[in-house]
Amino acid sequence: MKNGAFAHIFTVLFAVFMLAPIGVVVAVSFTAEGFLEFPPSTLSLRWYWAILDNPDFIDAFIVSLKLGFVSALLATVLTVPAGLAIGRGRFRGRDALQALFLSPLTVPTVVLGISFLRFLSLFGMNGTFIGLAVCHAVIIIPFVLRLVLASVTGMDPSIEKASVSLGASPWTVFRRVTLPAITPGVVGGFVLAFITSFDELTVSIFIVNPSTTTLPVRLFSHIAQTTDPLVASVSTVAILFTVVVMLIVDRLYGLDRLLIGEGKR
Amino acid sequence: MAYLELDHLSKAFGPFQAVADFSLDVARGEFVSLLGPSGCGKTTTLQMIAGFEEPTSGTIRLNGRDLSGVAARDRGLGIVFQTYALFPHMTVAENVGFGLDMRKVRGKERKRRIAAALELVHLSHLAGRHPRQLSGGQRQRVALARALVIEPELLLLDEPLSNLDAKLREEMQLELRRIQQEAGVTTLLVTHDQNEAMALSDRIAVMHAGTLVQEAAPFEAYERPTTAFASAFLGKSNAIHGRYEGPEFVTKDGVRLAAPAPAADGAGAAGDVMLALRPERILFVEEADAVVSGKVVERVFLGDQWLFKVATPVGELLVTRRNGGHAEPEPGATVHLAWAADHLRVLAPEAAA
Repeated sequence: MKNGAFAHIFTVLFAVFMLAPIGVVVAVSFTAEGFLEFPPSTLSLRWYWAILDNPDFIDAFIVSLKLGFVSALLATVLTVPAGLAIGRGRFRGRDALQALFLSPLTVPTVVLGISFLRFLSLFGMNGTFIGLAVCHAVIIIPFVLRLVLASVTGMDPSIEKASVSLGASPWTVFRRVTLPAITPGVVGGFVLAFITSFDELTVSIFIVNPSTTTLPVRLFSHIAQTTDPLVASVSTVAILFTVVVMLIVDRLYGLDRLLIGEGKR
Repeated sequence: MAYLELDHLSKAFGPFQAVADFSLDVARGEFVSLLGPSGCGKTTTLQMIAGFEEPTSGTIRLNGRDLSGVAARDRGLGIVFQTYALFPHMTVAENVGFGLDMRKVRGKERKRRIAAALELVHLSHLAGRHPRQLSGGQRQRVALARALVIEPELLLLDEPLSNLDAKLREEMQLELRRIQQEAGVTTLLVTHDQNEAMALSDRIAVMHAGTLVQEAAPFEAYERPTTAFASAFLGKSNAIHGRYEGPEFVTKDGVRLAAPAPAADGAGAAGDVMLALRPERILFVEEADAVVSGKVVERVFLGDQWLFKVATPVGELLVTRRNGGHAEPEPGATVHLAWAADHLRVLAPEAAA
């Protein structure tokens, strides 16, 4: 079906609406001035060199990277069995279990942040990397579960029976048949979880300490004190990093398949 | 002793009796079909043989071995599923090799057996493809090769052709029969498709409401159905209800018909009986030779044949006629029908009907 002129204009406006803020940040990061200037009057890489003079930003970037990886791994390992049970099992409390796993989406993050702060204090784990990773895992579990569930329900359950009839043990069935069949959902969930954790601010503000400050928290506190274009150049690097991750995953698995579901190939 | 023995097999799901006291013997190398409508218990029976369902009572013996308590993975059966259940992330060769991996068959021997299995189903050229790159018929063949490569003691086919279109289905029927005979494997097919069951099997076991209704060779089952259900389910059939008055059959509307005498021990020696008559045994004749006359109510052209629905004093009769390439009576026309009395089968009317 061909779209009319109105639909085209609408699509372009929508794309501008979504991308313009990012465009502004990227443009601002190339200014030579000492303040946020748009459009930049002169171009320079001054604020990119400035990142190197601010090791706390680089440290925060590394913390966020590690945190995203560990929390996404934790969430995925916990959620894959849950997704298999919820997606295929018929047992009492199945819906309640699913609602529980998805509930972090519906609880306001500020509330979660305060709760995590109180909870971690009980164990003296406030500000520790492990504490942070566990809290992030809770927040990102819904994303993993959604994608794993989509894969599980799209899987033909008789492939497991087929492998059993051919002599496979339960562990072999999982390793060689079930897991590979739901890999798109697992990888998609992991990537989405990683990006969500990498980007998380509200909860993190409550529970980081100076040694576990994440990149979003670092940027936030920087911008609260000064308004130099350093935040723009750091943001641009973060955007570039995300794009590269997405491109690699797209090459490996196909992003539309991961995030939208098992399409025809 | 039979090769596969199902001995008084029953399965209940809560209050629902899926399979009730079902017994069947299958000889080595035989191809037997479990035929029945959905919900008749045929799939449950297959699941019990495969080891995916535990029988409520009864035993299954294969080659003298009692299968109760043997896990599904240790039964060594080849199963072809309705959805084919190919592993989507493996190539054709890897799919076929899976059962060999489980049996620790490695190296040259593994390669040789995969090649032989793919040769058997004529798919050697597609060994490197993934299932999603194959047509329905090709997937079906891969599923067969995967089930046969482990040299199973028994091959179970669960509605294997129901996902194929009509033309391909006919081709695959011939192909399936050839492969089964070449492999020489004892086979149990579960299907609701009577044509499939008749075309493929040495013997048909008709199931209804969890019980065995009739067990016979396809021709025998078609020609001499023993129950009203079997006669209606295997092909098309007309039912003429009535009772015997002495040696004569009188329909419920009072028409006297020449009919075979009821068997001494069989149905209808007294009380209501049903005569079953195949539509293709009814002929169009001149008025003088007619058994009954009637009006064509409906006419359907099926290419190689015509299907008529004719309203007669003994009830509405289905009549099929081979398309001889000339005009046939139109709806509303009066036609005269006749049949040989020995084509009538005397049956007890369906209890539920």
